[in-house]
Amino acid sequence: MSKNVITMIKKELTRFFTDRRMLFSLILPGLLIYVLYSFMGNITSRMIEVDEDYEYQVYMVQEPQELEGLRLNENYDISLKTETLTKDEWMKKLENKELDLVILYEAEFYNKMLNYTVGSGDAPMVEIYYNSTKNESSELYNYYVGSLSYMESQLSNKFDINRSTDVKYDLASEDDMSIQMITALLPFLLLTFLFSGAMSVASESIAGEKERGTFATLLITPTKKSEIALGKIISLSIITLVSAASSFTGLMLSLPKLMSGSDFSISMYGFGTYALLFTVIISTVLIYVVLLALVSAYAKSIKEAGALAVPLMILNMLVGISSMIGPSTAKTVLYLIPVYNSVQSIISILSLEVNMMNLAITIATNFVFVAVGVVLLTKMFNSERIMFNK
Amino acid sequence: MKTLLEVKALVKTFNLSKKQQRIQKTKEKKKVAVNDLSFQAYEGEIYGLLGPNGAGKTTTLRILAGLIKADQGEAIVDGVSVTKNPDLVHSKIGFLTSELKLEDFFTPNYLYDYFSELHHVDKQVAKTRKEELFSKFGIDEFREVKVAELSTGMKQKVSLVISIVHNPNIIIFDEPTNGLDIITAKIVTDFLIELKKEGKTLILSTHIFSLVEKLCDRVGIIIDGKMAYEGYVSDINKESSLEDLFFNLYETSRGESHE
Repeated sequence: MSKNVITMIKKELTRFFTDRRMLFSLILPGLLIYVLYSFMGNITSRMIEVDEDYEYQVYMVQEPQELEGLRLNENYDISLKTETLTKDEWMKKLENKELDLVILYEAEFYNKMLNYTVGSGDAPMVEIYYNSTKNESSELYNYYVGSLSYMESQLSNKFDINRSTDVKYDLASEDDMSIQMITALLPFLLLTFLFSGAMSVASESIAGEKERGTFATLLITPTKKSEIALGKIISLSIITLVSAASSFTGLMLSLPKLMSGSDFSISMYGFGTYALLFTVIISTVLIYVVLLALVSAYAKSIKEAGALAVPLMILNMLVGISSMIGPSTAKTVLYLIPVYNSVQSIISILSLEVNMMNLAITIATNFVFVAVGVVLLTKMFNSERIMFNK
Repeated sequence: MKTLLEVKALVKTFNLSKKQQRIQKTKEKKKVAVNDLSFQAYEGEIYGLLGPNGAGKTTTLRILAGLIKADQGEAIVDGVSVTKNPDLVHSKIGFLTSELKLEDFFTPNYLYDYFSELHHVDKQVAKTRKEELFSKFGIDEFREVKVAELSTGMKQKVSLVISIVHNPNIIIFDEPTNGLDIITAKIVTDFLIELKKEGKTLILSTHIFSLVEKLCDRVGIIIDGKMAYEGYVSDINKESSLEDLFFNLYETSRGESHE
């Protein structure tokens, strides 16, 4: 690497890492992601979880003695309202969330149920009222409906499905389930963070310098245009990687909190996984920086660069969304498509099913694309129409 | 006398956008900014380029600095073709124009070191020269102040110092005293005289007659991209003033263009 390229990289890094505003904008996304996702996870778990010590308030009419066992389940601390309430009264209490459940059994429900045969008229009825906006109400409703439905199916039992409670019928491991969640979510988020990180620094460094007239000052030094292009791309890539590292760390730390309630873990990933992931991320960052540097060099201002980058951002998000479809079945030839190949490679790495040939094609393709981009950027820096046309 | 700068039959044409056509009230799609322009500058002289706004002075200087390319013709700087080897030319010239800005975020001290490195100036030489120039221009006490916080005059002085970090033999100044207060303008003009005494060749583009009369050995008057007059300033002042000569040429060119 030439001395001029190193000088330029040093200057660009000094620019970004000694400017508090810039540094803040690089580190902030990771912090925000962590806080936001942790908060979302916390809220979600609060929405579905019920306090262990909670005492359910239930109003029951004509409860058959034989079904009292349902109410005495040790998992649910149920307090039965003993006073007699009119329909209006218990409806109001349910609406006001003072009651969690109202169960109205038909008179002689249990006997009628035992004597009932299909086609002998109306089946005995039990009505269960609840308020779905209260977690505790929904929770107890689901318990009663589930229990009663199970009892009904037992009465006419002809066969069993998955009878044993000791056998694990779903053979997916906890790791597999975590991987499924991660591969659906992470590639999309990662691509979005990388792109938005590159977008802000590239437009500032290239379109911003053009706009402020400082780029022309650089052009009258003996520095070659190719050195300027290389210096910009390398320094912007380093800055974008720092931004991406911040976002990635925030994301990985907050994922277990976001997924709270499920058996989520990232312990199956070792150093090798992260190393491979980092390699793909570097090649992807370089592509983004090159693309956005070309856009920024073409634009007359930061504002115009931002506007021109929007279609690329949408395209990037669409490619990122493809990760949500599921595990990669992409043919090898598709690994020649930049960014798409990165998504597929990230999925395969996170799925712990890396195809080294596809990975090598991805990285090689991305680097070829970057080399072509550097040549194009050099040509643009040489073009007076692009650099001086105001 | 050794010729350090040779401009041979330069032609530069720009395409006009519809907006530019409207502003310039013309239906022509192209504008000839520089039209068959030739001149030479010798070692140790100050050559003035005088002309009204839009005459083609800045375009000519941009071509000399290798920022844009001429459609035709050639510019040779100290034996090196600007078209063929612009990077080498950049190491031989200093270029100061209000179009070229310094990054607001950095300090004069940082920028001096940065541009010295890009010009491959030896670190010790750069340091000595920096102290000398910073002291001469009163930049010392502002060396660690960000450019954004400097006054217009101080920014111009920093720009001037940075344009010559590599101690070039040919220095191109485009309106070097524009926007400066009288004290800073005096410091700059005195420095230009000092550079001439050191044997540097200076190309000075301006529209201030007194500046040309005070500083320049020879002057080229550009009107509508063409060299309307070229000669020694001392010869002009024997017969009439530079101002009278300029307006005579200008009126003549207006008359020709209206015929």
